[in-house]
Amino acid sequence: MSGILEDLLEIVGSRASSSIVERRCYAADASQIEGLPDYVVRPKSTNEVSRILRLCSRHQVPVTPRGAGTGLSGGASPVKGGLVLDMSSMNRIIDIDIANLQVIVEPGVVQERLNLALKPYGFFFPPDPGSSAVCTIGGMISNNSSGMRCVKYGTTRSYVLDLEAVLADGRVIHTGSKVLKSAAGYDLTRLFTGSEGTLGVITRAGLKIVPLPRSRRLVLACFEDAVIAGQAVLMVFSSGITPSACEILDKTTCQVLKRCDPKLAIPDDGDLILFEVDGPENSTVKECLHIAEICSPLALDVRVAKSQQEMDAIWAARRLVGAAVAKIDPAKTRIYMGEDVGVPMSQIPALIKRVQHITAKLDIPAMKYGHIGDGNLHIALFIDVMNEDQWEKLRIAADRIHKAALELGGTVSTEHGIGLARAQYMPEQVGQEALQVMRSIKRALDPNGILNPGKLGL
Amino acid sequence: MSLDLRAINRCVRCGNCRSVCPVFEELGWESANTRGRIMVMRGLADGLKADADVLDSLNSCTTCGICTDNCPAGANVPDLIESARGHLVSQGIMTGAQERLSRYIFESGNTFGEQNERAAWLRGRSRLKEKSDFVYFVGCMNSYRYTETAARTYDLLRCFGVTLLPEEQCCGSPLLRTGFDARKLVNANVRQMKQIGARTIITGCAGCYTTLKKNYPASFRVVSVPEFLAEHISELNLKPLDLTVTYHDPCHLGRHNKIYEQPRQVIEAVCKLAEMKDNRQNARCCGGGGGVRSGYRDLSLRMARRRLKDVPEGVNCIVTSCPLCIRNLRDAGAGSSVIDLVDLVSIAAGQR
Repeated sequence: MSGILEDLLEIVGSRASSSIVERRCYAADASQIEGLPDYVVRPKSTNEVSRILRLCSRHQVPVTPRGAGTGLSGGASPVKGGLVLDMSSMNRIIDIDIANLQVIVEPGVVQERLNLALKPYGFFFPPDPGSSAVCTIGGMISNNSSGMRCVKYGTTRSYVLDLEAVLADGRVIHTGSKVLKSAAGYDLTRLFTGSEGTLGVITRAGLKIVPLPRSRRLVLACFEDAVIAGQAVLMVFSSGITPSACEILDKTTCQVLKRCDPKLAIPDDGDLILFEVDGPENSTVKECLHIAEICSPLALDVRVAKSQQEMDAIWAARRLVGAAVAKIDPAKTRIYMGEDVGVPMSQIPALIKRVQHITAKLDIPAMKYGHIGDGNLHIALFIDVMNEDQWEKLRIAADRIHKAALELGGTVSTEHGIGLARAQYMPEQVGQEALQVMRSIKRALDPNGILNPGKLGL
Repeated sequence: MSLDLRAINRCVRCGNCRSVCPVFEELGWESANTRGRIMVMRGLADGLKADADVLDSLNSCTTCGICTDNCPAGANVPDLIESARGHLVSQGIMTGAQERLSRYIFESGNTFGEQNERAAWLRGRSRLKEKSDFVYFVGCMNSYRYTETAARTYDLLRCFGVTLLPEEQCCGSPLLRTGFDARKLVNANVRQMKQIGARTIITGCAGCYTTLKKNYPASFRVVSVPEFLAEHISELNLKPLDLTVTYHDPCHLGRHNKIYEQPRQVIEAVCKLAEMKDNRQNARCCGGGGGVRSGYRDLSLRMARRRLKDVPEGVNCIVTSCPLCIRNLRDAGAGSSVIDLVDLVSIAAGQR
């Protein structure tokens, strides 16, 4: 495979490497899926990407696009070797166009950097994964990422107005335009969003932005069990309030957070729901009281966070909860498998029960937390990674969790993507016929199958 | 020295380190980021050959520890990096810069390979006491490069009865940070400390401070000059100065040892303090630590130049308390505007 290195060096100069060290460093994202690439390239322009793809098409070299490599499904793991296209150097914010309520960015812009740049204008880009300090917009679009605030604001898909994408043969297309709505033909923007780099490489994106809310408030309601918590959530939503975040942290999760930071102001004797509301000052005050009233008869304890600092501390702890378990037990590592299931909102209590049953039977400790407001439950399983038996139990647990979600009419991935980690569930998830349609689309755009091969169950 | 797989496995590859690693910010390759470096360590454990690229990946870390502070999984990165370097050094695998630095230290007892008298800066100052509770540990940088700072520190500390080690050796920090065994130097210094009857060791170098705390017998109380000055501020007779300065937190004083407030107390007792854009636990590394300055000068200075962009407008000087930071920030273009905390205090004490 030494064939194309010289050509790559000619296109991007020293931003191409075939060193074994770099190849190892780009072998995986944050999932357990690995594959060794032959080259790693860090392009800086659409033109470079186009020339690279033309070259790879000609030589039939697989191309795996990658943002910050924070993905949890192996989407950026080069399982068929070939070339990893690290897009994180294309990181310019090209235009902040407040008059048209949008921004134009390159795919390597980090979510948090974008929001820092928008803040002085009083605007923000709402999708907020736990990895927002690191993850790139390109990666978010490719996985249709979301996060805590999507219960009110919608997922990344709701914000993409236009994409510039390079196709497998090097052609460059735009999928949309600057208008906020359009009825012109197939919606390629939505097709490319969530396509995990299998249809083209995103080199630029036009994104809708929204005004920052004037205030945010947080209600903490603690329940004896998740079933009662689920009822309270349904009652809040049906009362006409749409929280800007609605998170569940089960008892184990609360205990872990508390042990990481004993000063953290959360209860740890039950399952906790965090309701955040945002909007004008007087409306958030009113909505908070209303939520507290609804929850009171059902909850062990309800209170409103006292200060901005208290809210920030709780959210910061929540964002990083995934990996925090290792801080408490150095022999245990959180492994991201079976971590991203979702079910219709009313089925959340049933899902929680099923997960409890599965993990108890296999004797694997589990934290359960997630975006209960949109039916998304993150399950953190932790094991001793030096123990092969525990790995086997983990694989069985993850499989059973995925199947449980499907049986409850849910999804194996709400926001982390399919990649290879969940590819085996695609036939059941979308149905054989729909999967055939996806394969036809893939063949039409990438006849040689060089773009992120091995992913999405295609 | 073998690789500690348990410690390596704490990394879950979440990539949070990408948002803070100052080396990654300059170079952009995963091999120059903590997550990549840990993948390289895993590679070494599975038989990856330690070539020049492996050395560059592991040796380009300044061990500033900002990723450790931001690691949700609690990986202790400076320890991991140092032990991986040690793993390679114990097999004779090292860069030319590592080989040169270790040879200088082993041959001359200092990082520069200097043959001159280490305490030449004492000049006409009175003879040292043979017995004392307090020892001022000068360090290689101030002994040979910033001798005026050494003399000023000594002058400030003398009234509290400090003495020097008669034959001070390098504390061992550069060896330990880059993977070598420093026991010979540690033992030589400890023997003298015991002979003097010292119980408290005071140092003005952040690198020496970490080493004295971490790698020397715990029976000694180790105090940094900023801590000592803060403790004795009322006894120093300082006159206020009409200056505004900023303070650069050295990684080895700040993040590694959580000494944030004492240097600020001292500065505020003397003049006005305007903070740098990133400060305290978020302070950027000057780029000089962990052997990066000696191994990768250009990279090191690029980080220093970026650090200088955090300096607020309108300050008279940049104060810090680590001679390695001083040297790197000066060389990156800040020149004589970078001074040691002791230099500032000496002006206020009317010493010059």
